[in-house]
Amino acid sequence: MAFFDNLMLRMDESVTGLFGQWNLYTSLIFTTFVGFLTYQVVTRRDPDTHPLLLARQAQPSQVRHEGESAVYRSQAAPHGMPLQTGLNVKDAGASKWARGRDGDLRDIWRQVVGSVQDDGLTKGATGRILTVMGTDHVTEHRLDDITRQINLIGQHILDQGGNRVAIYLPNSVELIATLFACAFYNMTAVILPFDQSDEAVISMLRRSAADTVVTIPGSFPFDTVVKSYPSLRQLVWVVDEGSSHMDWNEVPQGTGGRVNVSTWQDIVSDSPVDAGKELPALKDQKDPRDVTVFWQSNNGLPEEMVRFTAANFMSGISALLFSVPASQRIGPSDLFLPADSLANTHTLLLTLGALYSNSSVAFNSVAVQADDLAVATRGIAPTILVATPSALLKTHQETSNAFTSFFAQKLHWLQTRHLTQNGVMPVAGLLSSYYDRLRPALGSKPGKLRLIFTAERVGSGNPQLSSIVLSDLRAYTGARIMYALTAPKVAGAVTQTNFYDYRVFEDASGSHFGPPLTSTEIILKDWKNYKTTNESSQGQIFVRGPSVAGGEAGLGVAGRIRDDNTLAYI
Amino acid sequence: MEYVEKRVAQEAAKGVEASNALLTPLNLLLLGLFLYTAYSFLKPQPPAALPKDEPAVVFTTFTPRTLLPFNGEDNKPVYLAVRGRVFDVTRGRNFYGPGGPYENFAGRDASRGLACGSFDESMLTKDLDGPLDTLSDLGKDELEALQGWEERFNEKYLVVGKLVPVGEATKA
Repeated sequence: MAFFDNLMLRMDESVTGLFGQWNLYTSLIFTTFVGFLTYQVVTRRDPDTHPLLLARQAQPSQVRHEGESAVYRSQAAPHGMPLQTGLNVKDAGASKWARGRDGDLRDIWRQVVGSVQDDGLTKGATGRILTVMGTDHVTEHRLDDITRQINLIGQHILDQGGNRVAIYLPNSVELIATLFACAFYNMTAVILPFDQSDEAVISMLRRSAADTVVTIPGSFPFDTVVKSYPSLRQLVWVVDEGSSHMDWNEVPQGTGGRVNVSTWQDIVSDSPVDAGKELPALKDQKDPRDVTVFWQSNNGLPEEMVRFTAANFMSGISALLFSVPASQRIGPSDLFLPADSLANTHTLLLTLGALYSNSSVAFNSVAVQADDLAVATRGIAPTILVATPSALLKTHQETSNAFTSFFAQKLHWLQTRHLTQNGVMPVAGLLSSYYDRLRPALGSKPGKLRLIFTAERVGSGNPQLSSIVLSDLRAYTGARIMYALTAPKVAGAVTQTNFYDYRVFEDASGSHFGPPLTSTEIILKDWKNYKTTNESSQGQIFVRGPSVAGGEAGLGVAGRIRDDNTLAYI
Repeated sequence: MEYVEKRVAQEAAKGVEASNALLTPLNLLLLGLFLYTAYSFLKPQPPAALPKDEPAVVFTTFTPRTLLPFNGEDNKPVYLAVRGRVFDVTRGRNFYGPGGPYENFAGRDASRGLACGSFDESMLTKDLDGPLDTLSDLGKDELEALQGWEERFNEKYLVVGKLVPVGEATKA
């Protein structure tokens, strides 16, 4: 007993002794400690998605053939089920539970003006269509006016015997309107990449057998084309307001006698006011026509011509829309800006998808050439942006140069920590207000941008965006980034990184393109010395699915499947 | 109570000798605790990873003879062929494996047996090196039954290969 008492006494004494040492420093340390714990607990947020969902992003098939890898599919498109084929367009009066049609381009424009598809809160909400000119001159186009243009231009080209319509325009409302005009009036649209050399334009016209060209004066080598491409029958100039007083219809003697020349503005303004207000009826409409696009590669090879069916396009659009989680989907409150050429199917299909989602869409004709996001986003505050990797790299370079002070670097470290360790987008707070001043100026209102789409073009030799650069850009812009792999024969994208994937991989292998979209499946076939074994899947990337022209295409580059089942170059 | 009073008096008698040293044992203890907690909170963690997927089974071309070993004995997988397609029925080992009611089919072409609803030895193609059973003598009902089995297999089991007669394997 005495021993026990003694022990208790000694323990008592030592505890009192220990806390007897409490002094000013102790209080200081204690307060910091409690402060730290409180900060950690208060700022703690659940990750945006479950980390294990990112640990295995695609589903391999259980059986593979000799000489190739298993077939990889998106987790949302299980094996044995059909891949996503279309937009599930519900006709008026159809049963709510019936499966909708895959749709075609005409259904997209009907949705833009009518907004009839969605049953949710946004039913009936339509987006706005804007053109940005110069630095901050923004024009809004009335949807009815564009419908009228679609009808009048479509009817005009058709009446003049147009069948294959080449569109040689920068990003503009007219480009989209001509595309829809072709869809509604049963003509084949041929979208040419803008700003090409004369020889390239003529070669593309020849290969696509176009008989009509819609273009702007100054960029299109009219005289040369008339001389060397006799199949041209019709030309529509899109003239801007400043020069619309000139008589563009007058064809210089001896050059274009056979060619019927008119201007967009004359076709529209010379028609009766009431003409062309109604879109052609849905009933008894003809099967949709193909769209031809040209894929440019930087390595001096001629442009690859690809014909996409309407089904390819719809599948690609629906998969791109589906890749954005339901809670974050593109909607009427968004302002979408394609800052990459609409001649790329990735940009074009995203734009069509945004239109179908009744989001507002802005067109900026300088956006592509500028390769500078600050220039491209001037005058408007986009929430969703399609940008080229090189423009993003430039933004990254410029912004990281601004982060030189110790404090700024620590803040950036903190923001990156939120992304990579906690899996959450950083939110605005006390600390980030200083950070805001260093952010790149994207859009007229900071903080609006929420999503950036960007795409590697296979075989282009463009620099890739590493996971570190992507993470930095997420922190700088406050927007999520989806990085896709695009290929000539695939409408939209082959694979695309997960919306919530903010992970950073320190090693050089960090750059990956995510899992296949719900419209594609990928397979790696043994190629050169890249062979699939039981341990690793590698080989030439092949892609199959309803969004692939011809059903299957090889990309001509070697790829591998990483441990998280995402696709990467070797 | 008496004890507490005694101790209070004792402590009071010690007087105030407030140390202002930074490195007292208490401070060190607290500091250590703080640093450890901070480290465990802030330690960078690699992204979550799952174990690798099971490697995919390689699609194989079997002949009746090379299919024979896959009858489930010695813990081998159980395969059986239906109309030229080889199914991996290992998950149904209780039925198709050794000792199961359908064990005769393991490692063999089961088309005729399934069609006729008979598990007899006589239903199997005897000549392993000969041509495959064409089933041409079967009636409508039997082919329908076979169709039903095939659909069931397709739902439940994996197709891991195809069955060809000996001699055609090299051509395939």
